[in-house]
Amino acid sequence: MEQKQQNKKRRNLYKVYPIEENCISCRYCEVACTMVHSESKDPIKAYKLEDLLPRPTVEVEGPVSISVMCRHCKHPFCLDACISGAIWQDKNGAVHLDEDVCVGCWSCVLVCPFGAVHPHLNKRHSLKCDLCEGRDFPACVEACPNRALVYDRER
Amino acid sequence: MKYVIVGNSAAAVGCINGIRKVDKEGEITVITYEKEGCYSKPMIADILVDLPEEKLIYKDKKFFEQKNVRVLLGTKVIKIDPEKREVVLDTGIAENYDKLLISTGAKPFVPPIKGSEKEGVFTFTELSKAKAAKEYITKNGVKDVVVIGSGFIGLEVAYFLRKKGINVYVIELLNKVLGKALDNRGSEIVEKIMRDIGINFFFEDTIEEILGNEKVESVKLKSGKIINAEMVIVAIGVRPNTELAQTAEIKVNRGIDTNLFMETSIPDIYAAGDCVENIDITDNTKKNLPLFPLAFEQGLVAGLNMAGKKMKYLGGLPLNSLKFLEEVPVLNAGIVEPPDSTYEVLVNDRFEKRGYYRKAIIKDNRLVGFVAIGEVDRVGILTGIIRQKLDVSTFKEKLIDIDFGLVHLPKNWREARIQQDKTGYNDWRPEE
Repeated sequence: MEQKQQNKKRRNLYKVYPIEENCISCRYCEVACTMVHSESKDPIKAYKLEDLLPRPTVEVEGPVSISVMCRHCKHPFCLDACISGAIWQDKNGAVHLDEDVCVGCWSCVLVCPFGAVHPHLNKRHSLKCDLCEGRDFPACVEACPNRALVYDRER
Repeated sequence: MKYVIVGNSAAAVGCINGIRKVDKEGEITVITYEKEGCYSKPMIADILVDLPEEKLIYKDKKFFEQKNVRVLLGTKVIKIDPEKREVVLDTGIAENYDKLLISTGAKPFVPPIKGSEKEGVFTFTELSKAKAAKEYITKNGVKDVVVIGSGFIGLEVAYFLRKKGINVYVIELLNKVLGKALDNRGSEIVEKIMRDIGINFFFEDTIEEILGNEKVESVKLKSGKIINAEMVIVAIGVRPNTELAQTAEIKVNRGIDTNLFMETSIPDIYAAGDCVENIDITDNTKKNLPLFPLAFEQGLVAGLNMAGKKMKYLGGLPLNSLKFLEEVPVLNAGIVEPPDSTYEVLVNDRFEKRGYYRKAIIKDNRLVGFVAIGEVDRVGILTGIIRQKLDVSTFKEKLIDIDFGLVHLPKNWREARIQQDKTGYNDWRPEE
């Protein structure tokens, strides 16, 4: 019974987990993310011509580094704060941000405790990890050369 | 179970979400006197710069259909009868309820000003009034507008009107914009940006009389100055709308009083949003905090409790984003100006050279507030630290760096939240 309840609490949600011990701050995850979310699907063009931002952020402090992206919280602060209705949670619990609906009020940026929702000031909308919707596997995980990112079921 | 929600904004939507997390079957009815549907209150001034009306929609019909909610638009609730467990509508019909939510929001505060009954005086807290103001501008070819008050609504309206080429005069009683909502340096930056696009400010002054025949023609200030303007916008502030609650003799202080479960002094009647008085977690006192995210949170907690899942609302953190300022994002949370010398203040002001400004307020090694202007990416981490009351003594000088991140926080903090997914709560924020 207890086991069953435990299972019930676990959501059927797969997301990206960073392992800081393995991260070498190469930022391949950032590049891969930017590329797959571009029109051209070309890293150089994506960065130079398309004015895109990566959704994971590699944070570095001395020898420690970690790639941080949306945790798809059980109780997302960003969803509570969104004034335009652009942020919503699907039935599995993944948090989505509809960039066309977003008006760029930055409330989500202000409240995300992971700093995982980013403001795109020029385009006036926020952006965040969409778990590479429409793709089989998250690009950042695929690109990571040191297994510092894993795609796994929520714990 | 029959749920009735009065009001149709952030708290109401939060409440619907809360109820439906627990109760998929119960009958939910939303009643509002407004006709426009569920639009986003913080976005109404955007219609001045011709934001298409569909963009204003916060939750569309599909949302209410999916959540199986009946919505009565254009219907005012005039009375609550707790004995009979019913609300009386202006149509004469009574709707009975098992659980009721009052989310009647706030109404604009309009002080008695001589001449304020003239045509051309508007407030900006409801879509219908904002639309009326816009129409008035077009119809009368308005070229000069006086805005009373330099809070969020006042500044936003002033900014958008200026963008449309209208001459704007902002009258403020204090000596700075945004009053207590932003620190002095922040206000200075905002004021400068707004002056640069041609907005005029009159500080430490107030309006004495609105002059004109039937329509507004000019405005006389206390200092004696006369400003010619065809329109006046009153944006001094809002007060909780507690009229409906008072019909049931619900306890009201500076807003409807609720317990930690968002229940009012009368059982089975809950309240959430701008109409309530709630705990401010920065100083643990109860006050009215009319802020969108807080309204949503309170609504959600009320909804969960209404549907039978006990959850406490432990208070809200005041926070703001100056959403209209295209040039420079201005974000802040918690205490922005230290009230006394027991607070430590860290400042990183590179606004002139690099275009950013950060400030952190610390008390007893806990972050209690911050201001971020210009560079705002990932400032939510700071908001999180305020809520979690983390000891910041070992990394506090990093707080005002623009590359401050999770990597500077204790490793066990990251482990718990990232590796073990501790992103849920037993009680609703702040977490310990």
